[in-house]
Amino acid sequence: MSDDREAIFSRVRGALAPLRVRAPLPQYDTEIAVLRQVLAGRDLAELFGERIRKVGGLAFFTPAALVAHLRTGGRLHGYCDPVLWPGLAPHFGAGFQVETAFDRTRVDDYAFGITRAAGAIAETGTIILNDAATSCRLGALAPWVHVAVVERSSLFADLPQAVAGLGDDRNVVWCTGPSKTADVEGILIEGVHGPGEQIALVV
Amino acid sequence: MPSQPIDQFARELSPETRASVYQSTKTTHEKRTKLLFDQFADPNRLRTLAGEIKQHAIENLDTLLPQVEARLTGNGAKVHWASTAQGACEAVLRIMQARGATKLVKAKTMVSEEIELAHFLEGHGIEALETDLGEFIVQIDHDHPSHIVRPIIHKNRREIARSFEREGLGAYDDDPGTITRRARHYLRHKYLAADVGLTGANFVSAESGRIVLVTNEGNSRFCLAATKCHIALVGIEKIVPRDRDLAVLLNLLGRSGTAQELTVYTEFIGGPKSAAQPDGPEEMHVIFVDNGRTEVLASECREILRCIRCGACLNVCPVYRQASGHAYRSVYPGPVGAVLSPLLAGERFPQLADLPKASSLCGACNEVCPVNIPIPDLLLRLRQRAKEENVPSPGTPPMGAWALLASQPTAWRAALAGGRLMNHVPTKLIPVPALQAWAAQRELPAWRGGEFRKWLRQRRSR
Amino acid sequence: MLNSERSPITGKRVQLMATCLCDAFYDDVAAATVEVLEHLGVEVGFPESQTCCGQPAFNGGDWAASRKVVRHTVRTFAGDEPVVVPSGSCAAMLFHGAVLEFERERDLPEVEALGRRTWELADFIVNGLGVSSWEGRFEATVAFHRSCHSRGTASGEAALTLLRSVPGLRIVEFGEGEQCCGFGGTFSVSFPNISAAMGTLKLEHVRAALPDVFVSADMSCLMHLGGLAAREGKPIRIRHLAQVLRDALKGGIRE
Ligand code: SF4
Repeated sequence: MSDDREAIFSRVRGALAPLRVRAPLPQYDTEIAVLRQVLAGRDLAELFGERIRKVGGLAFFTPAALVAHLRTGGRLHGYCDPVLWPGLAPHFGAGFQVETAFDRTRVDDYAFGITRAAGAIAETGTIILNDAATSCRLGALAPWVHVAVVERSSLFADLPQAVAGLGDDRNVVWCTGPSKTADVEGILIEGVHGPGEQIALVV
Repeated sequence: MPSQPIDQFARELSPETRASVYQSTKTTHEKRTKLLFDQFADPNRLRTLAGEIKQHAIENLDTLLPQVEARLTGNGAKVHWASTAQGACEAVLRIMQARGATKLVKAKTMVSEEIELAHFLEGHGIEALETDLGEFIVQIDHDHPSHIVRPIIHKNRREIARSFEREGLGAYDDDPGTITRRARHYLRHKYLAADVGLTGANFVSAESGRIVLVTNEGNSRFCLAATKCHIALVGIEKIVPRDRDLAVLLNLLGRSGTAQELTVYTEFIGGPKSAAQPDGPEEMHVIFVDNGRTEVLASECREILRCIRCGACLNVCPVYRQASGHAYRSVYPGPVGAVLSPLLAGERFPQLADLPKASSLCGACNEVCPVNIPIPDLLLRLRQRAKEENVPSPGTPPMGAWALLASQPTAWRAALAGGRLMNHVPTKLIPVPALQAWAAQRELPAWRGGEFRKWLRQRRSR
Repeated sequence: MLNSERSPITGKRVQLMATCLCDAFYDDVAAATVEVLEHLGVEVGFPESQTCCGQPAFNGGDWAASRKVVRHTVRTFAGDEPVVVPSGSCAAMLFHGAVLEFERERDLPEVEALGRRTWELADFIVNGLGVSSWEGRFEATVAFHRSCHSRGTASGEAALTLLRSVPGLRIVEFGEGEQCCGFGGTFSVSFPNISAAMGTLKLEHVRAALPDVFVSADMSCLMHLGGLAAREGKPIRIRHLAQVLRDALKGGIRE
């Protein structure tokens, strides 16, 4: 309510009025928030693969390896971004059923969802999704397995760089490993509401 | 001497609860320390910097709030303001009613606990379902969270399995994996059927208007993928000046809260979904909530508004570990709660004025706090306020007579000599309640008042 | 937590603040402090009118009462010599707590000035005098409790530097070393259950490390833990840092 707006603003002004000096805005080099010894001299894609495994995710560097993994897990029915599918289809052999439109009335039917990442962060093993690159929010979230196709050129080294590269997308999501909880007795369980397997296919 | 309410609560706490609280807080604390100190050259510098960033923000809310409002509006969100808990609840209800909406799914937000939103909405015929696993269990049990990051730290798997069975979520099975899977299946259909997704905000950037949400389970992401309307409830202190500050704060939040380098889902929400995106809210509302915060801002305890709700101070706190969260009788337990809860209570301050006493002032909370809040100093300020307002305080010895004695050296020396009598009297008969209370649990050393002074005189005269 | 830069050490005269606990119970700790300082060639003055640092009332929220005591202390320790205290907690009261409760008082500058020349004993020896090793012999395994008031100060590290250098002395680590002992002044009597539970936990950790001696630079922690242990019927041998340093000069543990 606009009354509340005025009331809050005036209370804020009143609360701050007695301060003789205000705390200054600190200027700093974001280097302070970078894990330099983790990054030093590393190839970003290789490091990203290592870090995503450390947070419980997986990275594949060829479509064949991904397809083999899905087949071994018995994940044969899934969703794929329509833009990606023509390139990936030849790698998926018989036995797979892949839809390029996500039907939200059948969320439980999809064992995997393949979407495009907007980027990734090597330092933390994070996949970046956004509204422009990622065809469908639910497709990247509801299936047990989420595969994000990450282009090497879109890798950020560290958190400060990734923040600087947020761009103007209205919705950017960083996914660092599979969805998790430790709410029950502190025991780690993967796959709560989101994917139990978070996979990057680095191309 | 009567003991304080939190102490009595601790005495009555079941050993099982105490053990599980102790174990999980200790583990998280130790992992946190290792993670921060192994990885950063100077984690304390990082904490200080984060504190400076947040202190700047709260001391400049008069310019940052209008700035963030303009950004959000420019991004296509609608901004609301609520002075009180009631006002915030009503704002949510109005948005729901305007859409003809009856179902709301909510992610974990401490502000919604503070304003008791779910309860309010249910009273108005709206289904308001918690989706964070811990909060969901709290909701079906009609319980209260006992930790700001780990709401059911006080429950064990057997209690949870019984609740699930009672609610028809499957036959008794206390395997945490099964419990989690059952919640997954139950809740995903609830998201898809809901009209509105409600979240809090961990940070809001004044520079871009981006709301930052941090979760592990992916429930807030599901709220924002499945529903058509997003409501964010945001305490006015959540502002950070610039986007670049987020890198510093996010690095600290995951490590401090759950001993993770980064929490699983970090969402940057700049407005309603883009046109080409099939999923997500077309409408976004941000409700800025005061509910006592401007009073805290006006007080000498304003540093507590830096808090990023990581829970590290709870995890390290020896009193929290012994008493657990419900002992604090408020939404915010532990060291942060001992400061914040009595302050947010407004006129009900006296009812919670015992919270700041529940501390040995060991300072561990300040040492772990990612925004370096001087919690012990704030506890002391509140103790002084309670004393000034004459709030009775059980078990706190009166200090007037002592101060008189300690400012009169002749009387002091006489007391030193006289105290010797105590050595000849059973402790039970010592007419000083504090000493008796002490001796109820511990041996009192022999009184040797004045001996040192005598020794020194002899040494000097040799 | 230090509030301000400390005045540099000039000359070799200090004033000893013995603390009310040593004045009433632990005379040997104050005596050991004198002997340790004199061994380093420091002349120790002892203002006879000293009482207490004012901390009990400060922690209890009765700042008006506490300020009365602090004002007395400021008068008692007039001058510009360093004030040395064998207690991290009383020292912190003077350089941090007192400053907080005098924020709005006219005599804040005097209180701050006292704070700037107040030193906890180990900090004074190592960082004030620049002495970082100790002689003599102390044949024992020592568990050292960093008392909570040394957080954010150089005291804990200073004490360890000295202890590590004592010939014959071995330091053992124990679990959850950063945790508080549960004393906390009036906390120990107004939160008897929590305080005792914290103390018991600390004792378990310390006992598991099997030290010969349990050492701290604060008698308050040791009084609480020693008292609990004695009541349990399983007494532990407690020593103040000053006693260890003094005894080392005399060849080892004295009963
Ligand atoms: S006070 Fe500090 S440590 Fe405690 S929850 Fe807030 S940010 Fe975390």
